[in-house]
Amino acid sequence: MPALAHAIGLAVLAAALALVPLFGLNDFYLQILFTIGVNYLAAAGLNVLVGYAGQKSLGHAGLFAVGAYTAAIANIEWGLSPWLSLLLACGFGAIFGLVIAMPSVRVSGPSLAMVTIGFGIVVEKIVTEWTDIFKGQAGFYGISAPSIAGVSFTNLHWVWFVGALCIATHLMLRSLLAGRYGRAFLGVQMAEPAAQSVGISVVRAKTLAFVISAVTCALAGAVVAQQNQYFNSDFITFNLSIFLLVVVIFGGSGSLYGPLFGAVILTMLDAWLARWPALQHFTYGALLLFSLYLMPNGIAGAVSGFAARWRQGKVAAAAVAGHSALAASAATAGGEILVVKDLYKAYGGIVPVRTVSFAISAGKVHALIGPNGAGKTTLLNLLSGHVAPGSGSIRFEGQEIAGWPAHRVASLGIARTFQNLKLFGELSALDNVLLGAHRHIETGFVASLLGLPSSRQAEASARADALALLTDLGLGERAHEPAKGLPYGLQRRLEIARALASKPKLLLLDEPAAGLNPQETHELGEVIRRIQQAGVTVLLIEHHMDLVMGISQHVLVLDYGALIAEGRPEAIRQNPKVIAAYLGADDDTALTGDAA
Amino acid sequence: MTAFLQALASGLALGAIYGLIALGFNITYATTKTFNFGQGAFLVPGSLVGVSLLLLAAGKPHFGNLTQAEMTMTAYVLATIASVVVVGAIGIALYYCAIKPFVGAGGLNWVLSTIGFGIIMQNTALAIWGPASIAVPSPLGSEVWRIAGAGIRPQEVLIAVVAVAVMAVLDIVLRKTRFGKALRAVAFNPQAAAIVGINVETIVILAFVISSALAGLAGILIAPITTASVFIGLGIALKAFSAAIVGGLTSPRGCMLGGFLLGIVEALVGLWRAEMREITIFLLIIIVLVVRPSGLMGARSVEKI
Repeated sequence: MPALAHAIGLAVLAAALALVPLFGLNDFYLQILFTIGVNYLAAAGLNVLVGYAGQKSLGHAGLFAVGAYTAAIANIEWGLSPWLSLLLACGFGAIFGLVIAMPSVRVSGPSLAMVTIGFGIVVEKIVTEWTDIFKGQAGFYGISAPSIAGVSFTNLHWVWFVGALCIATHLMLRSLLAGRYGRAFLGVQMAEPAAQSVGISVVRAKTLAFVISAVTCALAGAVVAQQNQYFNSDFITFNLSIFLLVVVIFGGSGSLYGPLFGAVILTMLDAWLARWPALQHFTYGALLLFSLYLMPNGIAGAVSGFAARWRQGKVAAAAVAGHSALAASAATAGGEILVVKDLYKAYGGIVPVRTVSFAISAGKVHALIGPNGAGKTTLLNLLSGHVAPGSGSIRFEGQEIAGWPAHRVASLGIARTFQNLKLFGELSALDNVLLGAHRHIETGFVASLLGLPSSRQAEASARADALALLTDLGLGERAHEPAKGLPYGLQRRLEIARALASKPKLLLLDEPAAGLNPQETHELGEVIRRIQQAGVTVLLIEHHMDLVMGISQHVLVLDYGALIAEGRPEAIRQNPKVIAAYLGADDDTALTGDAA
Repeated sequence: MTAFLQALASGLALGAIYGLIALGFNITYATTKTFNFGQGAFLVPGSLVGVSLLLLAAGKPHFGNLTQAEMTMTAYVLATIASVVVVGAIGIALYYCAIKPFVGAGGLNWVLSTIGFGIIMQNTALAIWGPASIAVPSPLGSEVWRIAGAGIRPQEVLIAVVAVAVMAVLDIVLRKTRFGKALRAVAFNPQAAAIVGINVETIVILAFVISSALAGLAGILIAPITTASVFIGLGIALKAFSAAIVGGLTSPRGCMLGGFLLGIVEALVGLWRAEMREITIFLLIIIVLVVRPSGLMGARSVEKI
């Protein structure tokens, strides 16, 4: 949403909140407004987890409970002020967010659903059964509400207070999600290996999303306990977990405004139908059953699809002078940048890489060739950290990196592309490249959350650089198109752009010419030459012998997991072992022309 | 010791129920990567339809209580068949309303749609039968059998025997018959299955019919133990889901094993402290999944890079 429209929207909302007393609403309506706010708070954070980081949680009632019970116990048992209790609730929320994240980040799919369900139910049972501390169904009475200047909150004050919390939450999440953190979440959701390859720690990103969702959910719980001045275990049910998830998904997960739509519509529907309980449940069921059929991306998806038709073709081309990562930098010194010794990897009885040793000298283009199934991609995965080696050593610039996770390898300056493209499909080409630059956008979490000038500055300059790089590679005009909509050849090139944006010292290319036509293959050769000129060492796996022989200075040949030859291209071309591996013995046709 | 045996017996019976429902999850998950999150609501007509038919046959209103004399073995078998057929048929409706629009679309929309379907079913049941629970006598009577000093309810034995028999039959069907092969083919690759002439949609619908029928069977089997009511489903279905995940959603035998394990652990923990059952079970499940994310017998999936 454009900045102006956003500012106007916020101003209208704030004005409407300020004018609430003029409408003469009774407590029933004030309560509805309050509930909308609470549901928005909980759903806004959950949306970061579900819609951005892609982690579906069915146990957030547990975190709601953490906030509510912290607020109750801190106030009643420990005698803390309501304001302090509220802060403490957020703190405990964060801690429990970490607790639930620890098992959750290790699993996915139905197992993730199970772990979160389990967490929710364990919390539910603890607060129900452990009556010494949590008072069970009897509950806590007389939880103090916050007061300002000695005046305790009335229902109207509560609406204002929650409204203010919602606006603050919205602004912070908006700032956070527009920057490198939001992109990292989406990257993790869309393609984990690719996110790792640009230096994003998948575990840390998911954990952060869990913590964010836990804090807003706990805050919502605490606010409910304080406004109600009473809280018991009946609030915490599996149905609450489901409801929170429904608010997010019905509203439109992954959209900043989805939780708002979900909270407003579902809360009002709930209140309106409360008079007819049977009808209420039927409507609720029918809504779940049919709305997603009509609007697969929730209300926000339907609305933005509608809005997109209005805005068509009005993408502003920002004219900024960025610095392309391809612009020639100082040539790197010679010497061996990567030394591999006795590298070994087996999957059961299959040994794709058996004790391979080689060295790669800086500043050159190296090619890794070999027949299908020779173990080339596995070798590349070992180098990039996507697969852990069975044994052996990988030294990069003298540093032992064997067994390191992929995101740490990436952060040393090893970038890669994937044989089966792993782009962040729904994101624009520009965002893909910005994700590539992730580790170079130096913005702290707090700065990003608060939208500090330093963070905006870093973001703007990264965008300019990314655009310059895209323009340099002939993708400038399509920078704002979703990656998955680009023609295949450009998708391949976009992966290279993303890898280059991380300013690597060593670039690993896994069959970059696969599926390209001769013209595109020729252009790829030019691109690789320019990458070399920019001082980046290249190791490429390729079957196009024209390309390999044309651009590489050093060729490694792998067959059945073992290195059978290495040397200059012209020597490899004549090597009888290589010819035998490719064409079988007795065939004197050299590796020429269109052997691919 | 007798208390232990008693707990073991009721744990096995309960576990058999979980295992039956979990097996249903496995069968639909194999074919469509989805399953009915609202399965709990399917236990409700499972227990109530058959009982109501018997009540009507006895000339009573459909939501009254049955006497022991009216619950003969023949009556129970007929009621079971009726329940299984009705709930199995509802499975077809479930497929067309809640599954078909979302298969292959990714995301979680099918979870919400099946929950929605379940809510509608539960409220329909509420409109028909009301909130009160109906006591259902066991066809084997209520007198406790003494085995090695332990008191075991005959219905528990019946549950275990029927469930194990059904599981054994399904195990053979899944592994040996043409239908089983077709099901596995669809699970492995629907496009390829279609190419070799398997009617993929028929197989998928059958999977949902079987899954729903299993839930219906579980409902009528458990009714004499828990009484029949609109609200029995959620807790049982949730544990059955846990059983499937812990045993391995991709493995039929894993699902059955998970069911029995869960039932026994639940009963034994209940022997120690009843209120600790759920807490212990779900903590255990979380630990198991951290160690083995795909469950005890599930196939580990490795993403190819």
